[in-house]
Amino acid sequence: MIKSITQAFAASLVLGVAAGTASADAILVTTKGPGAGNPFWAAVEAGATAKAAELGVEIVILAPASESDVARQIAIIEDQMAKGLAGLVVAPTDPNALGPIIDQVKAEGIPVVFIDTLGINEGVTYIGTDNQVGAAIAAKYLCDNVEAGSDVAILQGIITQSTGKARADGSREGMAACGLNIVAEQTGEWDRAKGMTVMENIITGNPNIKGVFASNDNMALGAAEALKNANMLQDVVLVGFDANPDAAESILAGDMSATVAQNPYNMGALGVESVVKLGKGESLPAVIDTGTILVTSENAEEFK
Amino acid sequence: MTDSDSSDAGDRTTGKRLDVVALLDRYGIVIVIAVLGLLIYASQPDVFFTWRNITNILNQNSVHAILAIGMFMVILTAGIDLSVGSVLALSMMCLAVLSASMPWPVTLVIGPLVGSVAGFVNGVGITKLKMPHPFIMTLGMLFAARGLANIVSGGVPYSGLPDPVRFLGSARIPLGEWGGGMQSLPVVVVFVVALYIGFHIVFEHTVFGRRLYSIGGNPQAARVSGIDVDRHLIIVYTICGFMAGLAGLVMAGRTNSGFPNAGMGIELEAIAAVIIGGASFFGGRGTLIGVFGGVLVMGLINNGLNLNNVSVFYQQVLIGIIIVVAVSVDVFRRNVSTRK
Amino acid sequence: MNEMDRPPVVLEARGISKYFGAVTALEDVSFSLRKGEVIGIVGDNGAGKSTLMKVLSGLYRPSEGKLLFEGNEVNFSTPSDARRLGIEMVYQDLALAENMNIAENIFLGTEPRRTFLGGLISFYDHRQARARASEHLETLKIHVKSVEQAVGDLSGGQRQAVAIARATAFDAKVVIMDEPTAALAIREVGKVLDLIKDLKKRGISVILISHRMDDIFYVCDRVLALFHGKNFAQADLGDTSRSEVIGWIMGTLNHKGTLAHDRL
Repeated sequence: MIKSITQAFAASLVLGVAAGTASADAILVTTKGPGAGNPFWAAVEAGATAKAAELGVEIVILAPASESDVARQIAIIEDQMAKGLAGLVVAPTDPNALGPIIDQVKAEGIPVVFIDTLGINEGVTYIGTDNQVGAAIAAKYLCDNVEAGSDVAILQGIITQSTGKARADGSREGMAACGLNIVAEQTGEWDRAKGMTVMENIITGNPNIKGVFASNDNMALGAAEALKNANMLQDVVLVGFDANPDAAESILAGDMSATVAQNPYNMGALGVESVVKLGKGESLPAVIDTGTILVTSENAEEFK
Repeated sequence: MTDSDSSDAGDRTTGKRLDVVALLDRYGIVIVIAVLGLLIYASQPDVFFTWRNITNILNQNSVHAILAIGMFMVILTAGIDLSVGSVLALSMMCLAVLSASMPWPVTLVIGPLVGSVAGFVNGVGITKLKMPHPFIMTLGMLFAARGLANIVSGGVPYSGLPDPVRFLGSARIPLGEWGGGMQSLPVVVVFVVALYIGFHIVFEHTVFGRRLYSIGGNPQAARVSGIDVDRHLIIVYTICGFMAGLAGLVMAGRTNSGFPNAGMGIELEAIAAVIIGGASFFGGRGTLIGVFGGVLVMGLINNGLNLNNVSVFYQQVLIGIIIVVAVSVDVFRRNVSTRK
Repeated sequence: MNEMDRPPVVLEARGISKYFGAVTALEDVSFSLRKGEVIGIVGDNGAGKSTLMKVLSGLYRPSEGKLLFEGNEVNFSTPSDARRLGIEMVYQDLALAENMNIAENIFLGTEPRRTFLGGLISFYDHRQARARASEHLETLKIHVKSVEQAVGDLSGGQRQAVAIARATAFDAKVVIMDEPTAALAIREVGKVLDLIKDLKKRGISVILISHRMDDIFYVCDRVLALFHGKNFAQADLGDTSRSEVIGWIMGTLNHKGTLAHDRL
C-alpha cells in the first residue's frame, strides 16, 4: 500500500521535472485557478508562456484548486520563494489576505505585479481590465438598444470583490446617466444557477424588464434560461461580461445580445514582460489597462 | 481465563497478519513521512532541507494542525464536526470587524470565544436535541456560521489588524544569521508544538482524555459506568469550536485580514489529516501524535508538489489515495480482530 | 436450618410492578436475596427478567412497589446510585470498551486519579490502575497476560471475567449477571461458573439470569421463575428438578414428565 503511494508520488515528481524544473530562478505566475479548469486562466497562461519564450526567461505556473483556497496560494508563493524567485505575477485570490505575503516578496526585492485583480499593496502595478470602463461599455450598449425610461436590472457578482464592485458601479452609473430605470440590483455570486434563480425572482416582481446587465457571462447565461422560460427573451436586451466561448455561441444564436471581452492573454504576456522590466530596474505605470471590447453578433465568431 | 486461552486456534491463524497490520497501524505514518521526505529531498536537494522550507511547511500547516486537534477529539468520540471551516471564518470576521473599534485585548479573545460558543451550540444540539448524528447538527452550523460571517462583516474583507492580534499568526523569533541569511522561527510553530504536547497529555494522562476513548469505544459502557456522556460531548464540541476560533486568530494574523471565504472546505482537510493519522471513524482509536503525522503528510505533499511545480490536481489525487489507504488499513485491522 | 442461623437478607423486592405505557412488563414481583446466596432467575423471552434486573440496578424506576437494601428502603435514579451501595450489574453485552485495556475497563467511571488545582485537572493514575487491577484479578484467580492487554484482543471467557472483575472491584455486595455464559465456548463456561462460586465463597450475593439449566443447577442455591411478568414459582435447588424448572419457564406447575427438551 505504501508502495503504491510512493509510486504515485514519484510519478508526479517525474511529471514535475518534465514540466520544467531548472536550477535558475524562475518567474512564478499564479492565478486564481488552474488553466485546465477555466479558459480565462488558460488564456493568461498562454500569454505568459508565449512571452516568456519570446524573452527567453523561465516561468513556473501554479495555482490553487479554487478561488476560495487563499491559504494554498500563499503557500505556493512561500514555497517558490524558498526555492528562489526571479519575479512574481499574481492574480490574488483575496487582495487583503495576500497583503502580508506580497509585502514580504517586495521586502526581499523580488519584482511583483498584480494581474486581473487589484491588490492592496501600494506601489505594485496592476495589469488588467478596467472593469468599470468595461461595464460602462456594456451600459452604453444597453442605453443605445433599450428605449429610455424602460425598466432594467443588474445581476451583480460578489460585490465585496473589487471586480464585482467595479462592474456594478460602472453599469449602474452608465445606465442611470442615459435615463434607464434600474428596478433591481441583486447578486448571483458569479454563478450560473444562482444567476438563473435571481433572474426568475426579478421577472416575477418586474414583468416589464427590457434590459439586463449581468456582471459575468455565467450569470448572463443563467438569466437567459430564466427569460426563455418566461417567454421574455425576445423582448429583453441581455448583456454579459467576459466573452466566454459559450456566451459567444449564445450571442450568435440570438439569445444574449452582447458581452464585454477582457484580454486575459494580454494579462499573462504583459505580466511577464513587466516583471522582467522591473528586474532590469525599469519603472512601470501604476495601472496597465489590457483593454476591453464589446462583443456582439458582428464579432462573436472570433470568441467561440 | 488462563494464558492458554488467548492463543486458541483462531488466534494462531490470524496472528501473523495481525502483527503486520498492527505494525502498519502504529508506524505506517512514520514510513509515509520518511518516504515523502526522501522523495522531495531527492527532487530538490538544495531547497527541501533548508530551515526556510521546513519552517514554511510547519507555518503553512499550523491552521490545519490546530483544527486537527479539535477534529481528532470529535472523531475520537465517533462524531464529526463539519462546521470548523465556517466557524473559523465567523471567528475571523468577528475579530476583524471588532478590531477597528475595540481595544486589542478584546479582539484577541473574541475569536476563540466566538468559536467556543459555536462549538457549545453544536454540542448542545447533538446531545439535547438528540440529533440522529453529529453530521446533521454540524452541517447546519456549517451553513449558519458561514452566513453569520458574511452578516457581521457585510461580506466585506477587513484589512489591517493591531500587532498584538497578529502576533500569534505572523510574529517570528529571530535566530540570527546562518545558513545563508537571517533565520527565524514563526511563533505559531512553537505555539502548535506546545498545543500538541499539552493535548497529548490530556488524551493519554487525564481522566477526561481516557473517558473520551471509552465513549468512542463503547458509549453504552461509559454510560452504565456512570460517565455523563452528554456532558463530555458538549465539552468536546466546545473545545473543537475553540480550536476553530484559535485557527481563525492565527489565519487572521498570518493574512493581516478577515475575509469571508476563509476556511472554505478546510474541515475536509482537517478530517483527512485525522484519518490519515490513524484515527478511526468508528471512534475510540488513534493518537494525537498520529494526527500530527497526518497533518505533516498533507503538508509534505503540498510542499513537494509546489517545489516541483506540479499542478494542484495531482495533490488532490494523492491525498485522495492516501485517505482511502489509511481507512482500508483501519477496516482491515477491525476485520482481523472481529474474526476471532 | 432455622431462620436465626441463615445469613441476613441483603436485597429485597416487594411487589414490584413496571409499566411501559399500556404494557405491563412486571406485576407484583417479590423476592429476597441473602448474603452469599446465588439465586437463578429463569423465564422465557419477555417474561420480565431483563426489566427486573434493570429495576434492581437502577436503570429503571419501578412503577409500584419498593426495594429494600440491608433492610432500608432505597430509591435509585441512576445506576450510579445502585453502584454506590454495592449493587453491580454485568451486562449481557458486557459493557466493555474493546479499544481500552483491562485495567482501564475495570476502573471505567471510577478511575484512580491524582487531582490538581482543586480538582480542575484530574490525571489518570495509570500506575495505580495497573497495580490495583493486577491485585484484584489475582484475588479472583483470573489470569491474563497483562492488565495492559486491550479487551478487544481477549477471548469471550476472558472478557466475561474482566466484566465480573469490574463489577466486584469496589466492595460489591450484590452482582447481577445477565446470561454470562450465553456467548461463551463450552470450555470457558466452567471457568465463569467457578468464578461465581468463588464470589459466593467471599460472601457476595449473585443474581444469575440464565437459560442454561446446567448453569443454574451447578451454581445456584435457589431458583426463581417469572412468567408473563409475575412471580410464578421458586424453590431451593435441592427441592426441584430440571424438568420441573423447564416446566415453570413454559408456565406449567408440577411438571414431572419428560419433555422434548430433555430428550435432546
